[in-house]
Amino acid sequence: MSSPIIARRPGLGSWLTLIRCETKMVVRDTAGLVVPIGLPLLILMMNSSAAGGEVVINGRTALDVYVLPLVITIVMATIGIINMPSFLAYYRRSGILRRLSVTPASPAMVLIAQVVVSLLQTVIGIGAAFAVALLVFDANPPLRPAAAIGAALLAMTAMYALGMIVAAVAPTPNSAVAIGLVAFFAVGALGGLFGGRDSLPDVLARAGEWLPFGASVEVLQSAWAGVPMEPLHLISLTATIALGGLIAAVFFRWD
Amino acid sequence: MEDLTFGTGGRPAGVPNVARMESEPAAVDVRNLSKRYGGTLAVDDVSLRVATGEIFGVLGTNGAGKTTTVEIIAGLRRPDSGHVRVLGLDPRRERAKVRQVLGVQLQQAHLHHALTVAELIDLYVSFYPNPRPARELLDLVGLTSQRTTRFEKLSGGQQQRLSIALALAGRPRVAILDELTTGLDPRARRKVWATVEQLRDENVTVLLVTHAMEEVERLCDRVALLDAGRIIALDTPAGLVARAGAANLDEAFVALSGKELEESA
Repeated sequence: MSSPIIARRPGLGSWLTLIRCETKMVVRDTAGLVVPIGLPLLILMMNSSAAGGEVVINGRTALDVYVLPLVITIVMATIGIINMPSFLAYYRRSGILRRLSVTPASPAMVLIAQVVVSLLQTVIGIGAAFAVALLVFDANPPLRPAAAIGAALLAMTAMYALGMIVAAVAPTPNSAVAIGLVAFFAVGALGGLFGGRDSLPDVLARAGEWLPFGASVEVLQSAWAGVPMEPLHLISLTATIALGGLIAAVFFRWD
Repeated sequence: MEDLTFGTGGRPAGVPNVARMESEPAAVDVRNLSKRYGGTLAVDDVSLRVATGEIFGVLGTNGAGKTTTVEIIAGLRRPDSGHVRVLGLDPRRERAKVRQVLGVQLQQAHLHHALTVAELIDLYVSFYPNPRPARELLDLVGLTSQRTTRFEKLSGGQQQRLSIALALAGRPRVAILDELTTGLDPRARRKVWATVEQLRDENVTVLLVTHAMEEVERLCDRVALLDAGRIIALDTPAGLVARAGAANLDEAFVALSGKELEESA
């Protein structure tokens, strides 16, 4: 009966089970799938036929250089800023994280599993938009594919960082959705979500370019057009990650 | 598990194994525990020792400090002062080890609402190195026929039974069960009691938080009576009745605490 008690962390099988469970939670939350997969497709449809023909730079069309980076950024921003924090806020509020904290699984396992599942969701969202753009509207792949993937990873991490700030400050699941939506539309509007930043007042256009949404669009544009990325945009995304990590570390509560 | 067979074999309730209590280290050892929230003392100098295999009741009105006490024992809250050991381990400093041997059913704990009974059981089972098989857990709490039902679609009693199954997934040596049968209908309540009696047969130590007298009489070897954060009596259920010169535990409770227990809905 009194065999020595050894602390064992849950193994690989447990991680896979948890990721499978989180996937089911995300898939069964149908409403949460509409925005990150439906909205980008809609924006793609509305802008593609007009932007498809004219070559803007290096054999890339307006569709490639302006529409696709925006669409990809919308997928990443909706998942990172709205969906992920609302799941975390729900798990915290409902006591699921507290329940897990009395098992050998740590609440951090849930966070990591959520990130894995939302990355899968992002890949599907971007993949769907990209496939439609390539097959229906004759879009072209980025001139610098590796740079595009790197830029997308950096931008996605920045969106998660922003999402962690939302999760850290939101007291309830509803407020997490509300704060996430406001944050998304704020950085989106300033970053070109409703049309180019050129139409904005100078100060706002500059701010929008510095904020993660605008910076994400900019670095993806550079990768598509095959031109060097501006250090300013990379610094902005990196700074968002650092700031989000810091704020989440100080203010995020598991229960 | 549809038939309602109750604990066969094992010691009957109310007969503590005194010899074991003296010779072995306590499964749960709490000394001089205090916890203050703002101006109120939620737990006030509580001490108790629960022997291995004992079913120990923590009884009191709402706000008596029952849940705070067991949450400190589970390592969920930090006491202001006092000493807590579970199987000789400190629940906060040796958290990872305690998690292997302690099963906890929290009051009103919610689970992933869109997952099914079987999915939740598979998930919690996966956390432990030597778990109870999923089929056995389903059978233990009588949820085999609900295995493909989502958590959100279960009745209150079924959710409660699932919650107990998950607390037992890792074959705990100590189980904390908080407000086990609150809100259950009599039939569901008897099923849950049968599960606890099965734990007695397996020599699992159980800390049972309750405000249901019938539950205490039926299950508990000993019971601590909490009032305003203090233990006002600690004895066998029969001992409490005798001490208060009362006819039953209800009357004993009123005599000892000066309060009526509210009816558990």
